[in-house]
Amino acid sequence: MTEENNQDPEVDLDAKLEEMMLNLRLPDPADLQDEIDGITSSEALAEFEKKHLGKGSSIAGEMRNLGRLPQDQRREAGRRINEVRQAVQGRVNERQEALTVQERAASMAAEGIDVTVDHRQIPIGSLHLIQQVIDEVSDIFTGLGYHVADGPEAELAWYNFDALNTPPDHPGRLESDTMYLDYGKPEDEMLLRAHTSPVQARYMEQNPPPVYIVSPGRAYRNDTIDASHLPVFFQIEGLAVDENIKFSDLKGTLEEFARQFFAPDTVVRLRPHYFPFTEPSAEVDVSCFNCDRGESSCRVCGGSGWLEMLGCGMVDPAVFEAVGYDPDAVTGFAFGMGVERLAMVRHGIDSIRHFIDNDLRFLEQFQG
Amino acid sequence: MRVSLRWLQDYIDLPTEDPAEIGRAFDMLGHAVEETETFRADWTSVVIGKVLTVDGIPNADKVRVTTVDVGEAEPYQIICGAWNFDAGAIVPVALPGAVLPGDFKIGSRTIRGVESHGMICSARELGLGEEADGIMVLADDAPIGEPFETLLELPDVVFDLEVTNNRPDVMGMVGVARELAAWFDVDYRPPVIELATVPGEPDLAITITAPDGCNRFTAREVRGVTIGPSPLWMQDRLRKAGVRSISNIVDVTNYVMMETGHPLHSFDADRIEGGVLDVRWSTPGETLETLDGSTIELTPEDLVIVDEAGPTSLAAVMGGARSEVSDATTRVLMEAASWNPPTVMYTSRRHDMRSEASARFERGVDPNLAVMADDRACQLLVAIAGGEVLESQIDIVANAFSPISIDLAVRDVERFLGEGFDAQRCAGLLRRLDLEVSATDETLTVIVPTYRRDLTRPVDLIEEIARLADFDTFDSTVPTGPVGGLTPDQVRTRRLQTALRGMGLSQAINLPFVSPEELAAFGGGIGEVVSVRNPLRDDQSKLRQSLLPGLLRNVRDNLNRGARSVGLYEMARVFYARPWADDGRVPDQPNRLAVAIAGPFGPAVLGRAAAAADAEVALGIVSAIADRMGVEIGRTAAQPPGFHPTRTAELDLNGQAVGYAGEVHPDVVADYEIDGRVAVVEMELAPLVAPVAAPLMAPVSNYPHVEFDLSFDVPPALAGGDLVDATVKASILLERADVFDDFVHPESGQRSIAVRYRLRAPDRTLEREDIDGQRDAMVAAAAALGGTLRGES
Ligand SMILES: [Zn+2]
Repeated sequence: MTEENNQDPEVDLDAKLEEMMLNLRLPDPADLQDEIDGITSSEALAEFEKKHLGKGSSIAGEMRNLGRLPQDQRREAGRRINEVRQAVQGRVNERQEALTVQERAASMAAEGIDVTVDHRQIPIGSLHLIQQVIDEVSDIFTGLGYHVADGPEAELAWYNFDALNTPPDHPGRLESDTMYLDYGKPEDEMLLRAHTSPVQARYMEQNPPPVYIVSPGRAYRNDTIDASHLPVFFQIEGLAVDENIKFSDLKGTLEEFARQFFAPDTVVRLRPHYFPFTEPSAEVDVSCFNCDRGESSCRVCGGSGWLEMLGCGMVDPAVFEAVGYDPDAVTGFAFGMGVERLAMVRHGIDSIRHFIDNDLRFLEQFQG
Repeated sequence: MRVSLRWLQDYIDLPTEDPAEIGRAFDMLGHAVEETETFRADWTSVVIGKVLTVDGIPNADKVRVTTVDVGEAEPYQIICGAWNFDAGAIVPVALPGAVLPGDFKIGSRTIRGVESHGMICSARELGLGEEADGIMVLADDAPIGEPFETLLELPDVVFDLEVTNNRPDVMGMVGVARELAAWFDVDYRPPVIELATVPGEPDLAITITAPDGCNRFTAREVRGVTIGPSPLWMQDRLRKAGVRSISNIVDVTNYVMMETGHPLHSFDADRIEGGVLDVRWSTPGETLETLDGSTIELTPEDLVIVDEAGPTSLAAVMGGARSEVSDATTRVLMEAASWNPPTVMYTSRRHDMRSEASARFERGVDPNLAVMADDRACQLLVAIAGGEVLESQIDIVANAFSPISIDLAVRDVERFLGEGFDAQRCAGLLRRLDLEVSATDETLTVIVPTYRRDLTRPVDLIEEIARLADFDTFDSTVPTGPVGGLTPDQVRTRRLQTALRGMGLSQAINLPFVSPEELAAFGGGIGEVVSVRNPLRDDQSKLRQSLLPGLLRNVRDNLNRGARSVGLYEMARVFYARPWADDGRVPDQPNRLAVAIAGPFGPAVLGRAAAAADAEVALGIVSAIADRMGVEIGRTAAQPPGFHPTRTAELDLNGQAVGYAGEVHPDVVADYEIDGRVAVVEMELAPLVAPVAAPLMAPVSNYPHVEFDLSFDVPPALAGGDLVDATVKASILLERADVFDDFVHPESGQRSIAVRYRLRAPDRTLEREDIDGQRDAMVAAAAALGGTLRGES
């Protein structure tokens, strides 16, 4: 469509006279208006357009005859034919616009849907809650300048125990606690790592200080499955080694973590404990995020106001010696937390078994 | 370790009796309070009475009628069904109106015309024990008419402490008092031992032939002992400590263990065959009959005490039946021996016999407590069971332990704990623990007694300083690393997971243990498998070499639970023994990605589920993964074990085989009891998430495109993908090629593939001759492989 279509040239007497002189047979656009107005569908309008403007129309016929006219009449006749054609086209277009509005409205009225019913299901998967917690904790610590380190799960007993200052007769070494592998030479005893801490030792062997890492991953214990035990579970180990790491750094770091993970006003409490690879060692409680200082009805903390969350401590100098660091030059802290425990506490999960059942009804609840 | 507050107060005057404040002290000392239990008199109106008369009742031979003096003007007449007392006995009497535990109301009643006012109580009726074979007979000097509860330490609070493995010293009340004394900065007082002895030497010969298992064996002989129940006060304390009362002799050993932390054992000296005892390792085939009548098999790793007839006691863990004290015992050998902790740990676990004693020996009992504990036990024994202690004490020291000296640099304290720990403050804190400290400004020299075997190095003392400084008083500071963040592999692993999630797949996490059958289903070779030496279950002793067995179990379980479709993925390690497994390196344990899908896959329209997942879905997922990760993954038909033989592709990435995609073999599907097909992908994760070069932008042309379709007849030997690839490579103007039909003509059996191509030039509108030239090149490339043009449009 061009702009000309909007100009419906007035058909005056002079023009009519001229038309007759030129002996042209053209319709009078004004005479067609009633017929156009009576058309009620786009299809019918297209028929009309074909009849009056198409190949078989009188306008098209006169256009074809133009060449037979004497030279001096051709120009004038051509102008006149065009004028009429545009006038008719303009009236058709105008009608088409009106019909389009009407027809679209009718069509929309007919194609309404009930927006309250799901007629299509677009499936979307879910990240395992354990993975979500691992990613979230990793992000908190990468924000503090940590790297995320990984290490083998089938591990040398040396990295799992000896490098971490665990005495030869520690009960954790018993087969009732730790799963051993039928593998390798007896002097290179191998096991499924009982914690993620061996990554500490391996990382320090490979990298000079300073070290700021977290290492999430599986750990293995010879535990029968019940509501609170799995033989394979996830831990996140943290390690910071630098020239001037102090006990307050450990406390502040865990507090920062707890505030980001649980709630901004979380308070952290460290209690002395015993681990072979840290000294001083501590167990860490975080204040309950669900109640105000321990309400007896609280189902998260059971009324104590505290949630036992993880173990930590200052890296034992013996560990530094085992990995070739100078214990007089650096200090450090380490911590280890159970991923299942973090998830269970924060999401009110009643049994640790859910984490390995892979029941879609459980997995899909946590879309993070 | 259960600590009764009232008992504890024998050894320390605490500045507070508030259980919360004392509980906090325990927590902050590192002896976490697992539970705080309150003990009260759970009754009213029970008084101490003296039985004046006991008479039978005509026609009632099960009960007797008594008169009891309860300190009032007139005695009470009470009918009693117990027969373990006579006139003169001192007993607890519930007066009419009394309420006993369980809301049991006592009143007056008449039986066969005989009135009874109140009740004489058994221990069970008062909630003080299980015994019900008689009423409680109290000490003769109990004050008649006084409330019964005055004989007990009530009310009381018991703290159940979690004592860490390194602290044997806190496994006794005296040690607990020492800890609280340090916390509150007050004094504590060990029990005063006043032992009267008579001249004489034990008629026993004792030897230690296994000094590697026994540090010290100390014993005294006590003659003329009368066995019987222990006094009420001792029963009361043992009850709160969680120890069952047995007899006065046995109760004394337990009481002194709870008090001093040093376990004791009492032998019936007359039942020691030949009058000789030896401590030695057991020999193969030996057995020991235990108190409950069962017989345990001993191993050469078990330490035993033997007499002439063989093992009579499993050292530190369990006494044998043969020499145990009995009702006939009058001559007691009161032994306080200390054993090598690992020996006790292994033996107690091997025979599943863990006890209060083994819990202490495993932590390491101080041999230098032996004489004190033995003397204390003998002192209490003669006080409550009579008899006399022989003057000469047996005391064999196999391994002597002496106090050690540790030099602590004050500078190191500040390196660990921060500012504010000068020599004076550190010395003060350590002295509160009863340690002997001499200090200069730079160094502390600390003498550590043998009951603190956990303190051997300077850092151990730093922990003590931190503990007593109160962890709550430390500041919170947050150091940050110089640079942090995820590696490119880690970022791409997350990106991959986001993509999988977008495909409708949920992440699964399975245990890595599989049965040999599951392992074999996917080709796990016997020579390459890593096995667990001590598996939880014998049928789960192998480490997985494929993630598919676990995912197939998940698929089956979810279908059985009613899920119509299941789409799962897992990322985890698989384990391969290395052929040179004795080089001291760990097994190969690469991370894998696996996907398993069963049932309709993709968006569903009302009433019409999507098509069921099959090998084509698996291959489509591989393509989508490759696109998302910016890598090219090639595919070749393959028949790996466990997979469908005609619907599976081997995958390669940069020329390296990385896994398989297709369907699970119908046999395996049937083994897992799954109906229908299971689409699966399993591939190595590392090459997939390895960083790729940042892609350079390909020009995006604004010129119009042209589309046309070509269909080719494909000979049987030609892979369709190869044909399409050849046509794609033949055209320099190709923008996109999509296979939209792949079918076999029913009559001829001829296979045809139809492809829609889209061409576009970067710099111009395509002319007819451009299009024809490209088309001809494609047809020629197909023909070169044997594919003939069947039609076009
Ligand atoms: Zn709470």
